[in-house]
Amino acid sequence: MIGVGKIKQYSNVLDKPLSKGKQEVSLSAFSFLFSELVQYNQTQVDNITELERRLEDAGYSVGARVLELLCHREKGNRRETRLLGILSFVHSTVWKVLFGKVADSLEKGTEHEDEYMISEKELLVNRFISIPKDMGTFNCGAFVAGIVRGVLDSAGFPAVVSAHFVPVEGQQRPRTTILIKFAEEVLRREARLG
Amino acid sequence: MIVCVAVVGHQNNPLYIQSFTEADDALKLHHIVHCSLDVVDERVNNPKRSGPTLNETFLGLLYPTENYKVYGYLTNTKVKFILVTTDLDVRDADVRNFFRRFHSAYVDAVSNPFHVPGKKITSRTFAERVSGIVKSFGLSSAG
Repeated sequence: MIGVGKIKQYSNVLDKPLSKGKQEVSLSAFSFLFSELVQYNQTQVDNITELERRLEDAGYSVGARVLELLCHREKGNRRETRLLGILSFVHSTVWKVLFGKVADSLEKGTEHEDEYMISEKELLVNRFISIPKDMGTFNCGAFVAGIVRGVLDSAGFPAVVSAHFVPVEGQQRPRTTILIKFAEEVLRREARLG
Repeated sequence: MIVCVAVVGHQNNPLYIQSFTEADDALKLHHIVHCSLDVVDERVNNPKRSGPTLNETFLGLLYPTENYKVYGYLTNTKVKFILVTTDLDVRDADVRNFFRRFHSAYVDAVSNPFHVPGKKITSRTFAERVSGIVKSFGLSSAG
């Protein structure tokens, strides 16, 4: 779990609590690793879409493993078969384990039936990143979008997931939205299940 | 005693098959595991009772053959675990416990960044853990 590195120092090893507790990783360590990941991928590609795709693929493998781990550890091994079930699982459990808090909001898209959005005021991975002007609409949240896609795909809900900046009045930095567009078969199956 | 354990991927491709007796030939065990996959699919797609049992991971006794019993377990990502045993009086709780530990070992094996999902599991640690779990299953159900 990525935390802010608030690890209590115990003067005496006997004072440490017996239970293992939640394992935390310091935010700075993760940010360094992530920045190296982005820099490495930047040297390998020529354009922005390729960079986004690579970050997303990196997130995809994380997502697939996170799903296995979380279902075994947290959810008591119940399978999610409903759309809303898997979405709320991603929105609360996955976010809580990865980022330490639940996502800010989960909304259903208004224009299309198959679109859902998870919004966050600021993604943890983007906290120390500012995008240069000439990169346009690139968002390092593509990594998180890849994680979500990995979770949904491995659970049997194929979807196209992307990360976007949405400017909000009254705030300097734009809000980040993860847009999830489910495949046709998911909606058909959901309609069949009633 | 446990004769064979198998991990089958979501496209019914075998990921890990391990037999624990020298006597029986592996082919017969492969065949039994393969046939039990049909039963798993049947249970998953046509649930007898919907509701709380729809999402259960432990599928229970799939079918008994002449001297084997086959148990199934389905994980969240449609990966199936198959257990073939010759014991006649296994308790349900023992099998559930076995699958729970087997699932932990599987999750640890899959978290390996060098493991490609969909390919066979080649980790030696996983093989050792599985044999450890199988041995302790034999001891606990005998007592």
